[in-house]
Amino acid sequence: MLFGYSVTQNAGEAAEELPNNEAEFFNAKTFLQTASGNTGDNLYDHLTEVLNRILAERPENVIDFFEEYSRKVKERRYRPLTDRLEDCYITPAAFELASHMLRALRPLPAPAPSTLDPEDLELADMSRNNLLEMLFYLEQAGLGLPRPEMVFVMLSMRQLVAAKPIASIRFWGKVLGTFQNYLVLEAELKEEEYVRRNEEFAEQTAQLPSAPMSQLDEALAHLSLAGEGATSKVPRALPAEPQIHFLPPAEAPMEPSGVGLNKKAYFVCPGIGEPWTELPDVSPQQIRVARQIHKAFSGRLDTPIQTHPEFPGQERHLLRAQIARISSATLVAPLGFYTFGAEELGEGAEEEEEEAAGGEPKTVYSPNPHYQPPALKDLLDSSMSFWVHTAPYILPQGRTSWWNPGPDLEGAGDEEDEGEQLGEEEQEEEPKATRVEPESGPPLLTPLSEDASLETTNPWTVRPTASVLDMFSLAVVRSNLWPGGHALATPTSGFYNVYIGDGLKYMQTNFTPLPLPAVQQEYPVGPEVLEVLDPSGQEEEQWRIDHLPKPKPQLGEGGEEAEPEQEEEEEDEEEDDED
Amino acid sequence: MNANALLECLQSIGHFGHIVSTEEQIVLQNSLLVLQNENHFRNVFFWGKILGADKDYYVAYGYVKDALHGNIFYYSNNGINWGLLPQPTKNGLLLTPLCTTSLQGDPALIIDVLIEKDETSIEETLRAAQIRKLKEEDRLASLVRIICSEAAVAPRGVNFQRPDGVIVENLAFEGLSALEAREFSSFLHARPPTQKYNTNLLTRDDYNYAMDFLDPLDIDIPEGSWIIQILAGDSIVLLKSLFWPGLVFYHFLKTPRHGFVYIGNGKRCIDVPFMLSPFA
Repeated sequence: MLFGYSVTQNAGEAAEELPNNEAEFFNAKTFLQTASGNTGDNLYDHLTEVLNRILAERPENVIDFFEEYSRKVKERRYRPLTDRLEDCYITPAAFELASHMLRALRPLPAPAPSTLDPEDLELADMSRNNLLEMLFYLEQAGLGLPRPEMVFVMLSMRQLVAAKPIASIRFWGKVLGTFQNYLVLEAELKEEEYVRRNEEFAEQTAQLPSAPMSQLDEALAHLSLAGEGATSKVPRALPAEPQIHFLPPAEAPMEPSGVGLNKKAYFVCPGIGEPWTELPDVSPQQIRVARQIHKAFSGRLDTPIQTHPEFPGQERHLLRAQIARISSATLVAPLGFYTFGAEELGEGAEEEEEEAAGGEPKTVYSPNPHYQPPALKDLLDSSMSFWVHTAPYILPQGRTSWWNPGPDLEGAGDEEDEGEQLGEEEQEEEPKATRVEPESGPPLLTPLSEDASLETTNPWTVRPTASVLDMFSLAVVRSNLWPGGHALATPTSGFYNVYIGDGLKYMQTNFTPLPLPAVQQEYPVGPEVLEVLDPSGQEEEQWRIDHLPKPKPQLGEGGEEAEPEQEEEEEDEEEDDED
Repeated sequence: MNANALLECLQSIGHFGHIVSTEEQIVLQNSLLVLQNENHFRNVFFWGKILGADKDYYVAYGYVKDALHGNIFYYSNNGINWGLLPQPTKNGLLLTPLCTTSLQGDPALIIDVLIEKDETSIEETLRAAQIRKLKEEDRLASLVRIICSEAAVAPRGVNFQRPDGVIVENLAFEGLSALEAREFSSFLHARPPTQKYNTNLLTRDDYNYAMDFLDPLDIDIPEGSWIIQILAGDSIVLLKSLFWPGLVFYHFLKTPRHGFVYIGNGKRCIDVPFMLSPFA
């Protein structure tokens, strides 16, 4: 028998009534109910349960995945019905999210009683920050973030405006990272806040060079003393340490807060419920290195950036540099929305100081009160002449205003002439003092039609958002150089600029890292350090023969001449042996 | 992405910002159902959108019997009139990765592709640089095939291999748990497997002949070329390929809802080794 038990227990009775249905059924059922030696389950109960479930749920084509179904039923049997350790009604993450959201939904705390007129408090204008309205338009353009996220951004904007000295704020976009993403807000701070920051920065820079240098010198002095003590008995004194004569080229100074690339402050947050972090100001050096590297964001602000042209800073600095570059390239507005009408009263005296060009290009514009939206046909024109740049161009130097790296390093606009004269006088000593050609870029509010195209790629693509409902269509502009940069003209509130992307520039031919610099020479290479092949015996012999003194006119004895040759040959052989 | 899931794409792929626009959702959902009916597809999916310079391409696919090998692709310029996407040609598969320009949006356009003299991706050795012709329709077909084979994803357990070898959608799929969703091995390449069946089977302890016949994602190099993000309070997992920016896979945890969609310019990003952190 194949099975481990006997089917017929009483052979005599079975033989009497051969086709006994009841006995057969009983036998089969007993077999099916045999408990498994491993788990204690039996097939009868399992089949009952599976069939019961299939009949209750009635899935379609259940035969195709019957095994799976049966396995699921079995799996369920081992799952505890209640978790007796802890009552878990929803997943912890969902609970956390909900409580964060509720916290953001709470009304703002009442402002501290102040004697100021409420109108003088100057809270930022939030009228253009209805993100749900923005989402409505973005969705038509094929963009958009989940609604809870948009609501959260709106709520936290409200909180930020109340808590920080912010003059105006808007939603900038989202930068996607590998672990987390960044939601980005762009804010313009109040004038007095900028002044305060610049004063603080000036104080810091004034203190900086003295303290660390003295420490370093002290440490060095200790080192050298210790070294002398140990090696004083050695007969020969060490040669003087070589001096480094290389001076790094002067670095363009950072634009002060509130000017140029640092005109706006940026706040980032990884997701719903997380706090908003302000990004530091950007330096020209960071901009220049960011152009040479191609690095994905991780989503954590403290990540070190390890790249070949060494990036000065962490991921927060790289993010800030990329935001500055993206803003400069992709912030566009319909023609006529902004004008240069307002006077340039906003620029303080300390800002003028830094500007080499003395405020030549206009940096301030204001919304045009008589703005008439251009016709949709014009906005959709592929020549892009009805869209203008609203952010300043970043010069190759990494600033929006050119800084003169000429002879006087503090090159202020007024002192430029003096600097040049100095340079001419000292030209023999310092060839660097020659005049540097100032870099310049297109002015603000230049139409996009002036943009240079990248090889065969058009820098911009403009599309209507709807082809069927064309009477409600909007014009959406997407940047091809910065995939993810979008601008959208709406009939009511003007326009929106949004960036949603990974923060990397498009490259038609792929990224090529900067080649490593040539290896520096340690010492001048001359004949005494050059490695050359030793001459062979034959060559030396040849040389000796060639350089023999001219044979004397009178005939000498052959024996004398032969002797030195032999000697030399012997020497050669010895040398060869040594080798 | 299932045709019916298009209408709620803001909640799924919207986490990465690029979605199917309001009008496209309505147009595509209805035209895809008509396409399904005309072609007697068992199921129809929206594959994605390839952004062209003048016009965009919409790509969709469906299957009659086999959910993996029997996919038939269609493409369209307006989302309404669908045309059959031809099978990728050998020439197209060879030349498509060499194209540097973006697609134009005109399927009949013929472009010149330059093959450099020392190009290593082709088998033959060339004596001089060559210029070959490529029709945009063929390029599109090859591009779709390449993206599918490199970046199409299905969660483990969705595709079920029947004993007769036909692959069907597993109606008993109940979704991954948050713990499973953190592992790359819970996601499989939705392509005909490239590894031997026992290799794929035996990489798991809890292997299952009917489900572990596809290549898992963790065989892809370099490590980190896939991004997993579990968002919205552990309710959705999103996957993104660094090699194909624009491809997003989503799966609502503990539910059978899943899908992937590609919205991008059809350019493979080969700078991934530079983008990743060397000592992460």
